[in-house]
Amino acid sequence: MIRIAAVLWLAVVALAGGYLVQRLHHGLAFRTDLMALLPREQQDPTIQHANDTVTRALSQRVLLLVGGADRARARDAAAELTRQLTATGLVEITTSGFDKDRLQRLGALYFPYRRGLLAEDDRRRLLDGKGGEVALRALSQVFGFVGMADARLVQRDPFLLMPGFFASLPLPLSKLTLDDGMLSMSDGGTTWVLIAGRLTDEPYALDVQRRLIGPLDEAVDRLGPGLEVLRLGAVFFAKAGAEQAMSETSSIGVASTLGTVLLVLVAFRALAPLWLSLLVIGVGVMTALSASLWAFGELHVGALLFGVSLIGVAVDYSLQYCSEIFASDDAPPRNRLRRVLMGITLGTATTVIGYLTLFLAPFPGLHQIAAFSAVGLVAAWLTVVLWLPLLDRSKPPRHGAGMLAAAAGFLALWENPRHHRARVAVLGLLAVIGVAGLIRLHADDDVRRMQSLSAGLVAQQQRIQSLIGSTGGTQFFLIQAPDDETALQREEQLIARLRPLVGQGALSGFQAPAQYVPSAARQRENRALVHAQLDGTLLDEQVRQLGLSQAPAAADDSGPVLTLAEARGAGGPLSFLSMLLLDGTAGETLHVVTLDHATRLDLLAQAAEGLPGVRLVDPAGDFSALLAKYRNRAMLLLALSAALMAPLLAWRYGIKRGLWVMLPPSLAVVLAPAVRALAGGAFTFFDAMALVLVLSVGVDYAVFCAETSGSRKPVTMLAVAMAACTALMSFGLLALSDVLAVRHFGSTMLVGILLAFLLAPLARSGMGSVR
Amino acid sequence: MRRLMLALLLAVAPVMAMAAGAAGPTQSIAVGEVLRGRFVQERHLKGFNAPLRTEGHFVLAPGRGLIWRAEKPFAVTTVITANGLVQEVGGSETMRMPSSRLPFLSRLYDMLGGALAGDWRALETDFVVTRAGDDRHWQVDLTPRKADDPIAMPFHAITAQGSRFVETVAMVKPDGDADNLSFLDQALSSASLTAEEAAALDTLTK
Repeated sequence: MIRIAAVLWLAVVALAGGYLVQRLHHGLAFRTDLMALLPREQQDPTIQHANDTVTRALSQRVLLLVGGADRARARDAAAELTRQLTATGLVEITTSGFDKDRLQRLGALYFPYRRGLLAEDDRRRLLDGKGGEVALRALSQVFGFVGMADARLVQRDPFLLMPGFFASLPLPLSKLTLDDGMLSMSDGGTTWVLIAGRLTDEPYALDVQRRLIGPLDEAVDRLGPGLEVLRLGAVFFAKAGAEQAMSETSSIGVASTLGTVLLVLVAFRALAPLWLSLLVIGVGVMTALSASLWAFGELHVGALLFGVSLIGVAVDYSLQYCSEIFASDDAPPRNRLRRVLMGITLGTATTVIGYLTLFLAPFPGLHQIAAFSAVGLVAAWLTVVLWLPLLDRSKPPRHGAGMLAAAAGFLALWENPRHHRARVAVLGLLAVIGVAGLIRLHADDDVRRMQSLSAGLVAQQQRIQSLIGSTGGTQFFLIQAPDDETALQREEQLIARLRPLVGQGALSGFQAPAQYVPSAARQRENRALVHAQLDGTLLDEQVRQLGLSQAPAAADDSGPVLTLAEARGAGGPLSFLSMLLLDGTAGETLHVVTLDHATRLDLLAQAAEGLPGVRLVDPAGDFSALLAKYRNRAMLLLALSAALMAPLLAWRYGIKRGLWVMLPPSLAVVLAPAVRALAGGAFTFFDAMALVLVLSVGVDYAVFCAETSGSRKPVTMLAVAMAACTALMSFGLLALSDVLAVRHFGSTMLVGILLAFLLAPLARSGMGSVR
Repeated sequence: MRRLMLALLLAVAPVMAMAAGAAGPTQSIAVGEVLRGRFVQERHLKGFNAPLRTEGHFVLAPGRGLIWRAEKPFAVTTVITANGLVQEVGGSETMRMPSSRLPFLSRLYDMLGGALAGDWRALETDFVVTRAGDDRHWQVDLTPRKADDPIAMPFHAITAQGSRFVETVAMVKPDGDADNLSFLDQALSSASLTAEEAAALDTLTK
């Protein structure tokens, strides 16, 4: 019977292996963006839509700044890199369009509507009745050292209102200027040339990163000395992040595996338990990977990272079985399995229940982790139960006495009546630590701190920002209105409030559609202002001063105004406006006002107050709020997970003894965050998720202790100690991760598992009288 | 923008002549000396009754910068240094342009600095330089190498004439508009800048 089951299991494992080989053959798809691990649940689909659109546009941006002391070389290098980027077929270069045609087309678009388009400075002067200042400003431009005037322009626009409006258009890259077809700036003898582009593919896909950054790195290497290339773009951060995660996965995985191997070798002084354990781990991980890929189609690097740590748990069952060899009675393999069967089955069941509660959190990445872990654990359990007794040819070792004595000694600390006072003292101390720690416990949900960004790239980003001006932030205003005209008018109200904030340094700039295309109402108002303040005597005087042969033809102020529809025309000079104009639903229009270097979100939020349909969107802030929400939800999961385990334990042990079994893991769950808080650590969503696992692993240890009896006690204790050591090696190592989120998870696991192990013998307190 | 070339020509032409050992201004300006003079600028623009005529004074201090003070038809002062350019009318600033926003400007300064040191290769990267005449009456013609892009190179041709100093400069735009400049009453003094002039040049370092 058991042999048939073992063969069936072999068939399943072979099937999983075959599937995995086939997937590996086609190349594995791993996702690396943190966002994919996080929930898609949102309160407002409009904001979500705006968020997605703006975030996508931002994440697809690629910026390179090429600098050198020699202008010509810097320009040649920029041209070469532009060629390389284009050759990848992944980047659409946006800086190459800055030719004279584009400026001319922009002029041609605006010129017919010039009387309705005023720079803020000119508009203010006209509102204040100071038309003379506008005239003087124009004259100084014509007669001054920098003669900006074009004869045909001056004839038709004697007050040079059009160039003024041009100059007032918001430039996100405020410090750059057009130098012979390239956007450039000079800084202390270095000429910097900008290359900007839009990634046409997914920045978080590993193969896109490879295909783009590989050739780029090679091209940069070929540039030779004396040139510097700075980079900015989500794709660069994503690649650095993926490489870090990969290297962490392999280093933590290797350290964890090596530690486990050493532990088993040292403890058993035999190879059989080692290869049996490796078999259990291998089957567990392979089946889990295969099943996850089958179920999800792809796997997140983060899920893989957590999944690798599964090794630490999967090995517990094999250790439980193998340790039975230390029992002195030299029983056959099947008998040894029978003695631990109930323990590891209960352990698997409770742990899988713990992992499966992760499915209740709406985080796609956690679903992957849950599936990976649950499948892996069940596979490991099946392997222990079905295969190990058949494969096991172990002989009883002779060196076990020392280790068993140590285990017995540890157990005695909890069971021997002599140590009663010490136990009470320790429990009292833990109570003090718990209370003190829980008082200090504070939550931290700032998502910006949870991601670890490559320090080198962050430094480059900061240099780029200081060199070329702000490169746009992630916050923006969303304007919801019934039509474009209403939206533009609300933006104009908003702009009036934002201008003083720029002066105060609450932000460094902003880009609103209304700056490029004022509302129809504003354009008509401007026409009326120009007519009232400038036409007439001031115009005659201006024509005379300039020596024009004739005054410009009288303007017709009743004609059509410039509309967004005309301005954003495809391929036109303002087609980039489409990034600020989102597709709304029927009867609704959505505009975006992007913000540069916003530092005072409170003042910005205030600026939107009282403007209907206008609100500040802060994706990172919203995200942090979401993390806080899910941190609380994770605590509920924890309680739920415990509640789900309880019936199983009550069925096996009865209510009172079941509660004793629940005590050690419960204490570990409460004390771990308390200890972390005393050490100064904040409590995050990731700590909460770790506690869910501490509970599962802790219940395992408690069940193993509860299931044992008599002379088997030291053997069981030894197996639990080894299990805890391997868990500490795999999860504890996560505390060394550079990713703060992973570090939080690992640290809480470290403390929690240690506590769960040390307190596990408490689970026997309810058994003593019975057995 | 085109008048930025003046600062260049005023300082570069003498050195070019010396380096060529032939035609060009016979008097070069050393760092520490100050050239003062009067200018008359006529801008010939199509569609205007008469050329736009501006008169004023200038102060050129090598290593410091140029003060360009238009007085007629009305007062506009432009100060240009390696840091950029500031223009003011009646004590209020109407334009400020740091050279970081203007690579063309800082390139001019590279040329200027190079030319003062006897190295005018910088100029030759953008122009074909032709010299003619003798010490008493010389002419330098600058022809842009890249004439097809009016944004990068807003000139069709530049011609400077003079003897001891540069006396006239003619700049022709691709569309036919032209600027003619005459420099009069030029005097070189080793006296330092006046306090007012120094202050004007310092406004850009603020």
